[in-house]
Amino acid sequence: MSTRDLVLSALFAAIIIALGLLPPIMLGFVPVPITAQSLGVMLAGVVLGARRGTIAVLLVLVVAAIGLPVLSGGRGGLAVFAAPTTGYLIGWVFAALVTGLLSEKLVNRDQMAIAQTVGFFIAAVAGGVIVLYACGISYLAVVTGLGFQKAFFGSMAFIPGDVIKAVVAALAGRAVMVGYPLLPQRA
Amino acid sequence: MKTLYHDGDTALHRLSPRVKLIGLAVTSVVLFWLHSPVALGIAAFASIIVFSTLKLKWSEIRRQLRPLVVTLGLVCLFTLAFNGSADALTVFLRLGSLMLLAAAVTATTGIGDFIDEITLAAMPLERLGILRAADVGLAIGLVIRFVPEVVSRYKTIREAHLARGLRPRPLTVAVPLIILTLRSADEIAAAIDARGIRRQK
Repeated sequence: MSTRDLVLSALFAAIIIALGLLPPIMLGFVPVPITAQSLGVMLAGVVLGARRGTIAVLLVLVVAAIGLPVLSGGRGGLAVFAAPTTGYLIGWVFAALVTGLLSEKLVNRDQMAIAQTVGFFIAAVAGGVIVLYACGISYLAVVTGLGFQKAFFGSMAFIPGDVIKAVVAALAGRAVMVGYPLLPQRA
Repeated sequence: MKTLYHDGDTALHRLSPRVKLIGLAVTSVVLFWLHSPVALGIAAFASIIVFSTLKLKWSEIRRQLRPLVVTLGLVCLFTLAFNGSADALTVFLRLGSLMLLAAAVTATTGIGDFIDEITLAAMPLERLGILRAADVGLAIGLVIRFVPEVVSRYKTIREAHLARGLRPRPLTVAVPLIILTLRSADEIAAAIDARGIRRQK
């Protein structure tokens, strides 16, 4: 791994952490507060691609695990990995991986703007919503003994917020690609 | 950003980080293997005893545990509503004990110790050629160093919006924030290589 890629991943990890420090916002039609941190996970995949994006997310989790309160709501320490919602944290890694892989596959610089945005949106939804919730819900269902249906029901309220984040991630991903292209990976 | 490590000299502080981490891993397996409420109750009581040996002040305990108690409470209420009291009690005792013990390890292990353990654990991966163990500490240091930088950039961009009479929106803030931050990557990478920190080319 080149030093530049290492630094890019570390800087993006810092961006994800900073997004978690912003206060959660309430949207009119979604009954739960949404935080910008999982937007950061989608952005990591969209902007950095699979390898560097996954490393950025892993770094955030490591920094949290060693005792810095860097996850949204000031959570941190090993205890967040013993919580019923740990599946969502582990899911971040796969979310960034899948978002990154699909972004690299679906989007290239010769496409029209709209095709690039749609490609990024598909990648962000597949990784940041489908894969993320599959991990989170499976873990919640097994750990609490709730079963998949009820765990799904309990997580449903958060999905609209995450789809909106995927839209933001797609638009931002394209804007960043125009302004400072990092995809496709060079190293 | 204040770490969750709490300076002190209790038995847990003196215990080697490796022992604590392995102990925590073994305990988590045992806790998921236990099913009787009585056994889990005893485990929860033992966890409280372990946590209380840290002799933390109330304000410190609140800082360590509050965000976790909220999550645990919500999930337990949900389990209670859908699966009845027996399941909710099991979840509460099992995850409650585990979170308490994990918080105790976090509160008594410094960041440097953790990084040493991670570097050591990454050695087999280095031998496989997947990563360089020393990079882990470097990357963690970079992340911690740059979080305040990103936050101050965020504030600058927000103020620039307000000065122009625009409302800061997620999209119009995120794009300049990402581009500004990532553009500094080349300089930082050059600085790292110039100092020979990674001892390559």
